[in-house]
Amino acid sequence: MIVWIETFINGITLGALYGLFGLGLSLSLGVMRMINIAHGDLIVLGAYLASIVMAALHCGPFTSLLIVLPVMFCIGWLLQRCLLNFVVGLDPLAPLLLTFGLSIVLQNLLQEIFTADTRSLPSGDISLAGLQLGGVSLGLLPVLTTVISVLVFAAVSLLLSRTSVGRQARAVADDLSTARLVGIDGHRFFALVTGFIMVAVSLASVLYGIRAPFSPTSGPERLLYSFEAVVLGGLGNVWGTLLGGMAIGIAQLMGAKVNASLGPFFGHLVFLVALIVRPQGLFSRAKS
Amino acid sequence: MTSFTVSSSRTATRVAGTLLLAMLLLALLAIPWLTGFSTQRLLVEAMTMFVIALAWNLLAGFGGLIAIGQHAFIGVGAYSLFFLSNSLDCAPWLLLPLATLSALAFALLSAWPMFRLSGPYFAVGTWVLAEMLRIAAQNTDVLGAGSGLSLDAMNNIDRWTRNAGSYWAALALCISAVVVARMTLRGRIGLALMSVRDSEVAATACGVSVRKAKLWIWLIAAAMTGTAGALAYINTLQVTPDASFSLNWTAAAIFIAVLGGIGTLEGPFLGTLLYFFLRESFSAYGAWYFIGLGSLAIFAMLFSPGGAWAPIKRRWDWDPLGLRRLMPTDATPTLSLKTGEAPPNMARPPQRTQ
Repeated sequence: MIVWIETFINGITLGALYGLFGLGLSLSLGVMRMINIAHGDLIVLGAYLASIVMAALHCGPFTSLLIVLPVMFCIGWLLQRCLLNFVVGLDPLAPLLLTFGLSIVLQNLLQEIFTADTRSLPSGDISLAGLQLGGVSLGLLPVLTTVISVLVFAAVSLLLSRTSVGRQARAVADDLSTARLVGIDGHRFFALVTGFIMVAVSLASVLYGIRAPFSPTSGPERLLYSFEAVVLGGLGNVWGTLLGGMAIGIAQLMGAKVNASLGPFFGHLVFLVALIVRPQGLFSRAKS
Repeated sequence: MTSFTVSSSRTATRVAGTLLLAMLLLALLAIPWLTGFSTQRLLVEAMTMFVIALAWNLLAGFGGLIAIGQHAFIGVGAYSLFFLSNSLDCAPWLLLPLATLSALAFALLSAWPMFRLSGPYFAVGTWVLAEMLRIAAQNTDVLGAGSGLSLDAMNNIDRWTRNAGSYWAALALCISAVVVARMTLRGRIGLALMSVRDSEVAATACGVSVRKAKLWIWLIAAAMTGTAGALAYINTLQVTPDASFSLNWTAAAIFIAVLGGIGTLEGPFLGTLLYFFLRESFSAYGAWYFIGLGSLAIFAMLFSPGGAWAPIKRRWDWDPLGLRRLMPTDATPTLSLKTGEAPPNMARPPQRTQ
């Protein structure tokens, strides 16, 4: 019984990471109506950047964020300005195929630069530390991941509901042409949004790199988990993405308990079943 | 409401065209006697890839269904053919229709959850499906788990027959895929899909069943892809989960469609030529080859979204497969507007809807 409770809690902590993966995707889908197929590869790129910074400055993974965050923000801003803005707002086909091409380019560039070997972000003692809660033992790092993830989600939802930038984002999401009428420069705003998405992505990358080894080809799988978190959570529902991610995380770890190699399969299965039973998302009140 | 006929632009060059086609067909049929095994294998690869790209293009370019998980059908087709062929100990080419059927059955089943998604969600949703099948195949002992199946039924067939059989099967598949695609697009489903593509709201208002048309094109594309996948693996004699349920298949199909021209039937043909030319010339560069290919696709999307076929069509106004529908000038519809005046945009000279 304790084993199952542990698995469940571990699923929640893994899912919090998936939710963080999904946050960027959820924002780009919500605000720009486009899905970035290279999202997973950008997560992996962030992890590689962190590993470069850590090796160069001999610092820990969290300190490396001081450099990785602004760099990733710039990458996102440039990506949107120089590439994605040309296709955003068109039919779903153009942005999809463009980012698909980008994903292939990124994967192979990473492979060319960093070889196909897996690596991970060494985090020292913190990765070994654990907690004991009523007979259930938990790693400190997964708990920390969950706390950070929840804080990021809280910050984003505050940003969306309380600030001027958030109001702009909601206006653009509701109706781009009307938002333009009242003075929002769509393309400049999109660049800002993608920059912010990359900030969320780099947080996710570092937490991911500490938790699991990554390689240049790990991107697509991250994209799939992010996507499932977004759809399960209900479209346009920020907190839903976190809960959706947790549902996937729990399903994966519970599944892995049944059959070690079938973990991700059960995550996908939960996604499919949820699609059939509740197409509007598990945590969405609105009818689709 | 007055009705008007929508005519297709074909002229009397038909006889000459038929003759030319017949000669071409004879030449293509004779290829196993004229070339070596490696050429034949490359041709089979190119022809199956063409059919897969054609199917992807039918979905994305005509049906508005962007399927990143199209490789699901490749694995389903290949695995069902290998499994059946080995259990029945029967020449694999004869069982190709069964591979088609199993891909169809899978498509029908998968439409249930997948058609709840649309646009970009559908695209990634199909990918999830393909990934599930890959993991499932990896963990199914009957299907050889991680190491897959080899085509034992081929053991007592000599090499020449093996290669020639695959080649002829691929040729037959290629021709039937083009015929089916052309018939579909010229028929009711094609008209429905093109009207949906132009304006979904208007099409629905006219009574077009969007869902039904999309389901049909999904089934047709699945059948093509499944058969092509089965044939591609007959050609290599070994199927594994990682290779058959691999995104590389869909990536190649997307490159071909993007380079050749999305939303045309000629595009995939042109794209396949381009793709195989690039692959045979540059694939030795490994990762850089893929970087180049990806960048090329990005450039094509940005600067020539119609692919390589678009400039050709613009320059020579060519429609070899007769898909374009022209609106005759004298058939200015009065519709049922009480004023008796046709809306101004209806009275324009022949206008292409494609």
